[in-house]
Amino acid sequence: MDSLLQPTQEAFHLLLTGDPDLWTIISISFRVSLKAILCATPFALLLAFLLAYVPFPGRRLLVSVFETLMALPAVVVGLLIYLLLSRSGPLGDLRLLFTQTAMVIGQIVLCFPLLVAMGYAAIRSADRRAWETALTLGAGRPRAMLTLIHEVRLGLLVAVIAGFGRIISEIGTSMMVGGNIAGHTRNIPTAIALETSKGHFAEGIALGIVLVTLAFGLNLILNLLQRREAQAV
Amino acid sequence: MNNDGQLCFSRLEKHYNTRHVLSIGRLALVPGRIVHLTGRNGAGKTTLLKILAGLEAPDCCDVLLDGCSRSWQAVRQRLRRDMVYLHQHPYMFDSTVADNLGYGLRVTGVPRARRRQVVAVMLERMGLEHAAQRNARTLSGGEQQRLALGRAWLLQPRVLLLDEPTANMDTGFRQQTWTLLQEMLNHELAIMVSSHELSESECPNCLNLHLQDGRLNAGPPSLHLVGQDRSRSQEVLGVKP
Repeated sequence: MDSLLQPTQEAFHLLLTGDPDLWTIISISFRVSLKAILCATPFALLLAFLLAYVPFPGRRLLVSVFETLMALPAVVVGLLIYLLLSRSGPLGDLRLLFTQTAMVIGQIVLCFPLLVAMGYAAIRSADRRAWETALTLGAGRPRAMLTLIHEVRLGLLVAVIAGFGRIISEIGTSMMVGGNIAGHTRNIPTAIALETSKGHFAEGIALGIVLVTLAFGLNLILNLLQRREAQAV
Repeated sequence: MNNDGQLCFSRLEKHYNTRHVLSIGRLALVPGRIVHLTGRNGAGKTTLLKILAGLEAPDCCDVLLDGCSRSWQAVRQRLRRDMVYLHQHPYMFDSTVADNLGYGLRVTGVPRARRRQVVAVMLERMGLEHAAQRNARTLSGGEQQRLALGRAWLLQPRVLLLDEPTANMDTGFRQQTWTLLQEMLNHELAIMVSSHELSESECPNCLNLHLQDGRLNAGPPSLHLVGQDRSRSQEVLGVKP
């Protein structure tokens, strides 16, 4: 029991005393994942809307593809991006490998299918009358789309939170295309793996606490919003 | 609208897969008149209203507008601007009653100050001023119907299309709705109301049309239209009395 208790006490100490190395790792993690989710969300939601409301041949197949890609292993994405960005790869001249930009690209690829598939499900669940009412009251298609997004905002927020949860805790892509360089591309998951392998359990646990607190906080916000919506109606 | 202010649809056809839903030779919507469209459930009333409103595409249809005939596709946006369609159970956006009422004005770019002023007047006219800041979804069915009518009225459409607005409503409320529609009617507005039944007393001045097997006829068989009533109904269908 002591083997767990002591590192946990040390972990809280590190977090509360503002250990600079630890907070640099946390800051890199959030910076990269927030950039990725902010870049991916508008395009993913637009695509989800098109899949839900614009009929074209192969639409159902495309939805199935995105649903399948939701379970895409992070290491496979890491491998593909690595091959693209490595010196001998087609995008090697950009010199992006082992940078935060490469990590952002990898995380965008990871969360995009999830955002599309969950966004599509949320938009499909919207009442068709919302779309028709917006149009008949004079809204153009872009404005009617914004109205529809507002109507299913909670479902879309769940999609975004799920997407963020997936990328902030993924290790495969970050490790392969980021390289786990201290102070530069070392984020929470890669740091946990490294510190554990070195036997520094306190740092690992401290970073684990941050991830669990984040997950708890996001769920709490979601529950509060759901309750507020239910009370409003 | 053509020179008489009429909006005329002709050669309107609609299929769903192999099922022939609508085949209408001519239908004119005359300002200042209420057209009462009857037909059994599944006769195609909703499809017809949505086509007229520019919300659902027909297989083919010509529209006489501003004196010249164009295809439905070419005037689709114009139809959406000129007409407002109300669902049987009107959709309430997840926001306040005032926001719902002003939605059409907001999306068509009416300045906020003007919008507030107009919405306040309409809230009072619809008897909803006490509920202005309530979520519209908490209103009763009758209040939601009134709100939807007010929301449409504010846009001053050329044609108002109502899909079974009095279905499942008690007699008192039905009468209220008809009174409100008569109040809304002016020399620039045409109204088309669908229902699966017809009570003559509710709308004595309506032009009655009946949809059966995808075709429009003058008045439902149960109504026995005679004289001027029949000829007026036949006129909007382009049938010589």
